[in-house]
Amino acid sequence: MKNLLQKFYKWVDERVEVNGLVEYMGKKYVPVHRNSIWYYFGGVSLFLFIIQVVTGILLLFYYKGSSDLAFESVKFIMSKVQFGWLVRSIHAWSANLFILSAFIHMFSVYFEKSYRYPREMTWVTGFIMFLLALFFGFSGYLLPWNELSFFATRVGSDIAGAVPVIGPPLKTFIRGGADVTGATLSRLFGFHVALLPGIFTIILGIHLLLIQRQGISEPLHMEKKKEKEKKKMPFFPNFMLRDLLLWLIVLNILAVLAVYFPAELGHKADPFSSAPAGIKPEWYFLFMFQTLKYFPGHVLFIEGEVLGILLFGVAGLLWLLVPFWDRKSARGEHNRFINYLGIFAVMFIIILTILGWVS
Amino acid sequence: MKNLLILLIIFTLGNVTYGIQASSKDQCYNCHAELGGEPAELFKNDIHRKIGLSCSNCHGGNSSSDDMEASMDKKKGFIGVPKGNEITDVCIKCHASEEKMAAFGFKIPTNQFELLKTSVHGGLSTNGKDRIVQCINCHGAHGIVKVTNRRSPVYPLNIPKTCSKCHSSSVFMRNYNPGLAIDQYDKYRTSVHGILNAKGDPKPAECASCHGSHGIKSTKDLNSSVYPVNLPSTCAKCHSDKKYMAKYKIPTDQFEKYSQSVHGIALLKKKDLGAPACNSCHGNHAATPPGISSISKVCGTCHALNAELFASSPHKKAFDEKHYPECETCHSNHLIITTTDKLLGTSKDAVCSKCHTQEKLPKGYEAAKDMRNMIDSLKTAQQFASKLIDEAEQKGMEVEDEKFHLRDAHQAVLEARTAVHSFNRKKFDDIVVKKGLSVTTEVIRDARASIDDYYFRRKGLGVALIVTILLAIGLYLFIKRYEKDQENNS
Amino acid sequence: MEENRSSLEQTSRRGFLKYLLTGGLIGFAASIFYPLFSYLKPPKQTEVEVSSVLAGKITDFELDKGKIIKFGSKPVILIRLKDKTFRAFDATCTHLACTVQFRSDLGVIWCACHNGKYDLNGRNISGPPPRPLTELNVIQKGNEIYISKNA
Repeated sequence: MKNLLQKFYKWVDERVEVNGLVEYMGKKYVPVHRNSIWYYFGGVSLFLFIIQVVTGILLLFYYKGSSDLAFESVKFIMSKVQFGWLVRSIHAWSANLFILSAFIHMFSVYFEKSYRYPREMTWVTGFIMFLLALFFGFSGYLLPWNELSFFATRVGSDIAGAVPVIGPPLKTFIRGGADVTGATLSRLFGFHVALLPGIFTIILGIHLLLIQRQGISEPLHMEKKKEKEKKKMPFFPNFMLRDLLLWLIVLNILAVLAVYFPAELGHKADPFSSAPAGIKPEWYFLFMFQTLKYFPGHVLFIEGEVLGILLFGVAGLLWLLVPFWDRKSARGEHNRFINYLGIFAVMFIIILTILGWVS
Repeated sequence: MKNLLILLIIFTLGNVTYGIQASSKDQCYNCHAELGGEPAELFKNDIHRKIGLSCSNCHGGNSSSDDMEASMDKKKGFIGVPKGNEITDVCIKCHASEEKMAAFGFKIPTNQFELLKTSVHGGLSTNGKDRIVQCINCHGAHGIVKVTNRRSPVYPLNIPKTCSKCHSSSVFMRNYNPGLAIDQYDKYRTSVHGILNAKGDPKPAECASCHGSHGIKSTKDLNSSVYPVNLPSTCAKCHSDKKYMAKYKIPTDQFEKYSQSVHGIALLKKKDLGAPACNSCHGNHAATPPGISSISKVCGTCHALNAELFASSPHKKAFDEKHYPECETCHSNHLIITTTDKLLGTSKDAVCSKCHTQEKLPKGYEAAKDMRNMIDSLKTAQQFASKLIDEAEQKGMEVEDEKFHLRDAHQAVLEARTAVHSFNRKKFDDIVVKKGLSVTTEVIRDARASIDDYYFRRKGLGVALIVTILLAIGLYLFIKRYEKDQENNS
Repeated sequence: MEENRSSLEQTSRRGFLKYLLTGGLIGFAASIFYPLFSYLKPPKQTEVEVSSVLAGKITDFELDKGKIIKFGSKPVILIRLKDKTFRAFDATCTHLACTVQFRSDLGVIWCACHNGKYDLNGRNISGPPPRPLTELNVIQKGNEIYISKNA
């Protein structure tokens, strides 16, 4: 077996000269320290994304994206296609775990301040991917065309429409019309399986290329040490094998979730019925949704909801640009303020998500 | 001398009478009465003559001239004997004008012609020029009297004969509607209305009471007073009028009850022409309520299965002996409400308990109790099976076969409700138990199996998990060993 | 001596590990590829909404008789008339959803629940049914009879 692989490698190298690349990769190291466990979450996010692409392509074999057949085709996948329930449930759970893992990855990078020079672009591409992931979730959620997803999309796009100036055209753009209809389904389906994957792959490629080029960032306290004192582990094969092991465990967890908590079917969407009581968006939007509820109807001359959206917009912008305004980290200094801000953000998100869940 | 005096008196009297006649304004009548002939004979009693009108008011010409040519001068408007539509044109000259009617002091309607034009009779006759019916066909031409006059051809007692002049003649009717029946008059004479009418009572319904007089429309026309949807209110015009019906001593609440019944709501609200109107059960021209022992036959013209079962059931003999009105005994006649399973059984609402108790007619009591219990258990089983199927479907299991199978249980419930009318435990058993419950039992079993399948997936998962965990352990050990080797080598 | 033993232990542990890894990898691959290939295999009902169904061979159908065929989860009545032609209708009675049947003695489609009758064009001609039965297409391919929804 080993011989065969070596022969194959030689054959490829004779034509493409991968040797240089392989040597370069062999020199990649991952810092080992108290917090290096967080390094795995980037890989886990990548793994979950790959799972999404694979299960998504499988679902494409049987899913039909028109409002008269969407629900029926999902029912078909769940009940008639062999293991269809498994593929769909994994896709649904992996979506949630992907976003959760992305959250953790993003916050761990934030607290480690890995976004500082020279890795600003990595942070920016990462945050863009995070936003794309949220839109993946939003667009994918409508595709089963059941009651919950229909009304969640309506509520979600209503909120998008509340953004000043660009809101109304944005809402019409998302909905493909004035209301959520089969046109919305077609459009979001196109986003979900074509446009978003395309853009995401490009950004992901840039993100990964940057990481390969720049290596894994070291924590601040480690930068000051001498090269010999730094504990390191080679990326290939050590870190990668560990990564694979973790991916295997994550796959197991996905399978357990898919079997014990399969994705629900619900009832087919009826545009003329009234929204079921207590309609909520998915958990990753919940904290924003709940926050907007707490805003009073009007604050001075601005509508409460609009103000809330604007505040989130500003917060998002600041978050995106943190590598550029966090001067201290750029200089290699500890920045307590960033930590406090981060803790506040995490607590805010967690508490409001819980509040949104129980209300 | 005496003879001369008598002669003179006679001559004078003769002259005076002649003079009186001669001095009457209607010279036409004077002449034609002397000439003899039916028109003048009839016109003597005509109401138009009584109010001072002359022949020339209809025929034109100059009625004050006794010269034949001068009085029947076309230039003076003489039209001779009007034919076809000309006839009605003459009548409406006055009868369609409210002012003219008021001038003579009559408060009678003036819309007869408008109505006639929209009616069946107002259509073109076979000659292609004139209307089928002219005023004189029903009212007469020269001896016209008031509608309330016993001698009028359109007085209630005379109307049937007047209408049947055409409507009982197959030779005439086949020119217009060969498919239309011509036995209405004969049937009418067998009906309660017709019998009373023949005896001289002008109050019961005759042709015009239901069909109208001038604006008679085809029974297929939505606006006809006898279109099925409109028929009940037409009957109710008399039959719901307490004062009108006082001397006949029959109820006057039928229309009220009928309107609230299943049949009434279906016909009057939903406009379902499949539902019966008054004539469906009572007949229209031969209107008579069905006899007690024939009620199930009448209901059975639509409710064939129930009637058939009833006819061979023990209730048929029992009811007829006791003079109970068959179907009506349990379901009522006019106020037939939607039948529910509550009607069956031994509780207070159940109709069975009216005759069957544990002491009185206990066999029927037991049968009623059992049948009700069986239907209830079948319905419960069906609902339970349906719920299980839904659960399996929501879990993503394939349940098309079960859904298909369960239809038979639904059918068994419906058939059971009909089968009640056999009042026979065994027949009921066959349907409910053998058909219905066997289906529900199978479906419940299959749906449960589907749900179990769902949980069986967990076992499959268990196997895959074990394999993966083994692999994970192997990988972990491999990593450990690899790193140890790395350490040893470095 | 001890070195020999530990290296022997090591070799046997290595062997064990190799078996564990190989076995694990094969098992893992199987638990991935088995569901994957089963998934990709077309299911028995190939389309989301049944649009046509194979009713049987032409020899399965006697003249002047009707048969109930399962069309998805709904019944369809397939009638072969005396002149050898076929008619197919939705077999759900439009009154209260019982399953109709063909009565060759009456020459009509009959519903046992309340004596509803439909003619051979599906039209409701007697009894409580308020609407006609929907007709479906019957197509003969070779010696097989297919029933399909009106496209």
